[in-house]
Amino acid sequence: MIMEKKSIQLRKFFKTNYTGWLFNLPLGIGLLVFTFIPVICSFVYSFMWKYDGFTFDAWNFKNYIQMFTADWDEVSRSFLNTVLYAIISIPLGLITSYFLALLVNTGLKGVKAFRVLYYLPVTIPAVVGGLLWKDMFGQTYGIFNRILGVVGISPFPFFSNAKTSLFSVFVMNLWSVGGGMILWLSAFKNIDKQYYEAVQIEGGGRWAGFLHITIPMSTPMIFYNVIMSTIGSLQYNGTLTFAPNDGRGWDDSLYMYAVKIYQDAIKSGNIGYGSALAWVFLIVIALITVILFKTSKWVFYGEEA
Amino acid sequence: MSSKRRVSPLTVILYAVMVILTIILLFPFFYMISKSLMTSEEVIQPIPQFLPKKPQFVNYISLFSTNDYLKGLLNTLLVVCWNMFFVPLSAGIIAFSFAKLEWKGRRLMFALMLGTMMLPGAITQVPLYSLYFEFGWIDTLWPFIIPNLFGGGAVYIFLLTQFMRGIPKEMDNAAKIDGASALRRFFAITFPLSKAILVYVIINVFLAYWGDYFGPLMYMHRSDAPKTFALVLFEKSLDENAAMDMANIRMAGGVFMSIFPAVLFALFQKQLIDGVMVGSVKG
Repeated sequence: MIMEKKSIQLRKFFKTNYTGWLFNLPLGIGLLVFTFIPVICSFVYSFMWKYDGFTFDAWNFKNYIQMFTADWDEVSRSFLNTVLYAIISIPLGLITSYFLALLVNTGLKGVKAFRVLYYLPVTIPAVVGGLLWKDMFGQTYGIFNRILGVVGISPFPFFSNAKTSLFSVFVMNLWSVGGGMILWLSAFKNIDKQYYEAVQIEGGGRWAGFLHITIPMSTPMIFYNVIMSTIGSLQYNGTLTFAPNDGRGWDDSLYMYAVKIYQDAIKSGNIGYGSALAWVFLIVIALITVILFKTSKWVFYGEEA
Repeated sequence: MSSKRRVSPLTVILYAVMVILTIILLFPFFYMISKSLMTSEEVIQPIPQFLPKKPQFVNYISLFSTNDYLKGLLNTLLVVCWNMFFVPLSAGIIAFSFAKLEWKGRRLMFALMLGTMMLPGAITQVPLYSLYFEFGWIDTLWPFIIPNLFGGGAVYIFLLTQFMRGIPKEMDNAAKIDGASALRRFFAITFPLSKAILVYVIINVFLAYWGDYFGPLMYMHRSDAPKTFALVLFEKSLDENAAMDMANIRMAGGVFMSIFPAVLFALFQKQLIDGVMVGSVKG
């Protein structure tokens, strides 16, 4: 009796829901095969000592222990590089693109053409950008040092010196400042003009409008940007395209954590250790994201929120 | 400044700043194009040159008469064309199930999908490599073909869902009353009406696979593997010391790779910028 009732219920459930599930099936299969199973596998692999994709020695925590002992020099170096890169490049990108957006947010003639020109470098594929900047930043044969020579400045080492490498990456990244500019412009566009009129009526000038309207109204945008660029910058592996020594830079000055995972897991075939590196990374990224959300009281979501 | 209308000094300064910035930001483009037109002798000069004595357009012919680049281009075209068709189609079908169909479990699947958007690629990258190894997909193009039949990424499905939710329900309901099946309603009504956002998805799919060097770098190891154009260019740029005099050909490759994204952006500015906005509003 109960069984029969259940089977009728099941049949009814199937009848009313099967179209939805059928259309959603590609997502279900995709998530299962290409996301959930790999995530679980990665977790399992991380406990397999010396797993190279075929055999392993034992089940233990040695992969995790190795990170903080034998391999600590490289792990800490690449982690610090990555964090330093993120901490400087995110605010630098936000601020420079903000001023660029202000510059092209005027009603001047031809300003739209300038927006397109500023965005162009963003459309360049990363591998081409890397190739080009490596060439232009060459210490002896690079065009930038020729330009500096004309002004009477002695050759700058750029990527050929551990001390100037990271700085050179920031200079290079400024080239694609147009990406942030577009986001800022859309944020400005969403701000109701009435607010600025209200400020004017109250006797406030441009500066007051900027401080009390533009900044608070842009905070959801800033927050979204900070979250996305944090997750993005921490996984940065673009150094592969331009940094000397297999993407590590001089004295490992450009060795990023994501590149280390690639080098250890794929290039050296140490799947177990690479998985452990990735899991520690996931936890760090998750922690940073949680902290960012917890400290997001400064974000202004309008009156209704 | 003898014009009758008075131009404020601020306007002059603004224009000057904009022009200077344009020169700075466009200089690398200029240099890349210029270098791609130099002779092999000119690129190995101890003092780097700004301009070729005589533009060597023949460099672009040499680029594609080298087998590597030509094969690379064909592989890239195969991957790009496949995905420009199947990613919007499969993402559209999934988005339709979220936006237009009523079924139990819909919210759960949507939440699961959004959850994966935050997952760092580094976590799945290593086990996916093992998985594809098991499938025998290493040194083949399958890793860029098969996984994209399943929606091709949460971002695209999310954007399509949001857009489809904005299409009035009445149209779908009317067709339902007339007895049209879900598949029919998708292909005849919802999918065509999503044209605006589909353009955005298609262009982004193109940009993603046209420029992708890291994916192929992961899965292509043998020298006779089907490498994409981006990977060929990447590998050529690594052994720069071995063949300094080929820098002009490499630059020609770079120019060639940059033309299509730049033209696409110039043509579809509005859709691309609107897409960026939709993406940012969700935050």
